[in-house]
Amino acid sequence: MNRTKRIIDLTGTLPRPALVAVVLAGVVALSALAEDAKPAISPRADELMKRMSDYLAQAQFFSVTAEVWQDVDLASGQRVQAGRVIDLQVRRPNRFHAEVHSTRRNRALFYDGKSITLLNRVKNFYGTIPAPGTLDEALDVASEQFGITMPLEDLIVSDPYQNAMQKVTSGIDLGPVTVLGVPCEHLAFSRGMIDWQVWIEDGARPVPRKIVITYKDEEGSPQYTAILSKWDFDTKLPDFLFNFEPPAGAAKIAVEEIKSQSQAHKREGK
Amino acid sequence: MRASNTALCTKIGFGLLVLFVALPVMSAERQQRQEQQAPREGGAEPRGGGPGPMHAPPAQQRPAMVERVNHGSLRHADTHVVPRPVVITPPHGGGAPHNVIVHRDVDVDVHRPRFWNDFAFGRRWRALPVGCISVIVNGAPYYYDDGVYYQPAGDEYQEVYPPVGADVPELPDGAVEIDAGNLAYYYAGGAFYVEQGGGYVIAPAPIGVTVPDLPPGAVEVSVNGQVAYQFNGIYYRPVFVDGVTQYVTFVP
Repeated sequence: MNRTKRIIDLTGTLPRPALVAVVLAGVVALSALAEDAKPAISPRADELMKRMSDYLAQAQFFSVTAEVWQDVDLASGQRVQAGRVIDLQVRRPNRFHAEVHSTRRNRALFYDGKSITLLNRVKNFYGTIPAPGTLDEALDVASEQFGITMPLEDLIVSDPYQNAMQKVTSGIDLGPVTVLGVPCEHLAFSRGMIDWQVWIEDGARPVPRKIVITYKDEEGSPQYTAILSKWDFDTKLPDFLFNFEPPAGAAKIAVEEIKSQSQAHKREGK
Repeated sequence: MRASNTALCTKIGFGLLVLFVALPVMSAERQQRQEQQAPREGGAEPRGGGPGPMHAPPAQQRPAMVERVNHGSLRHADTHVVPRPVVITPPHGGGAPHNVIVHRDVDVDVHRPRFWNDFAFGRRWRALPVGCISVIVNGAPYYYDDGVYYQPAGDEYQEVYPPVGADVPELPDGAVEIDAGNLAYYYAGGAFYVEQGGGYVIAPAPIGVTVPDLPPGAVEVSVNGQVAYQFNGIYYRPVFVDGVTQYVTFVP
């Protein structure tokens, strides 16, 4: 009781403007803290991401080609880039086919709704793993149990917006840019130690035309770049594209599960 | 006019007071937030984006995150951690070795030829390469150059399989560290080296270890109807590891 009275007395000694200022300062500080707790994403960037994601999620099937470049460090310490081309075909909810080509390497991945098959076309080896019935589940099983991350999987998932934005802490719209002559809007996002950018085509077909991911927690902050073209939402994709048939002479080999040490570090919060 | 100046002064004073009170609070909070977001030792991102019961253990308890740049995935950027072979380059001019993570993903296509890539058992040469060193193994003379071994053959020299017991001062260029339990091997040109006495000695091939590439000139064979490869008496079985074709040593 006495303590309460003392506080009242103390506040009573303050000049009224000062008291108001302290209260207001508290309100300002609290509101500033509340704003800090929210991801700082510009409404425009968020809107464009939603638009692009909705467009991809609502597409029952699509094909796209990506030219991918990634940073590689040679043993000498010199940094170079390695490239490859990915031809991707997706049919929702549970079909996926990717052909990954480069000068010396050539592989394919098939998902038919029941299993995922890897095919090393150079060595003519293939291996199959069981996979659940949706693209999202299959992508997670492949990555978390077998260490296989599907090419361009962020475009394949059922909810590309939630998939990309769930850990984002900031996002900005950097304005109009052309990618291979196509007018796009350039967005940049950060989720702590990973920065990523996307260039979304202007107009009625808001598809991603370029994606860059920067891994700031790895030495030299290596980047992964995908330039996307030949988007096709019209050509139907029949079953045979997704059903694996072993090429002549192909040998079936085992697909190892990732080690228990790795499994202890499975992705969380999903 | 005087009243107006008084009001202005009051507003300025009020504003300054708000700033003086609010800024330290916001600054302290921002500093705390920056400390939480700062990369921990080892450089890895705390999984989940911040502290709390669902988040990853401190980075120093985790192996390095590798290979993510191969996949270009946001969904699985933090999913799993796979220890990878490390390329060892011999020190030049007494400098420290420059070790880097080797990107062995099947997607990565960077041609990195090694001297020993061109090994061909039994191939004969009239002269040894410049820089060859003499190595005696169980009393037999050998010559060694960057992962390739030679033996005298008449008045010529022929390429031979890496002899177990050979002791060389430096690892071949591009040797890959292979984790085999508590012992680290360095794999190059079909030989498994272990560090010993300041140099590197070829050890008998460990069985059940995974290597990223076949030895040069390994011969395809069929073992119990399954495809395999043989090199210098050691058998290699192909297997997909992380979606990448690698090879496990085995005994038929």
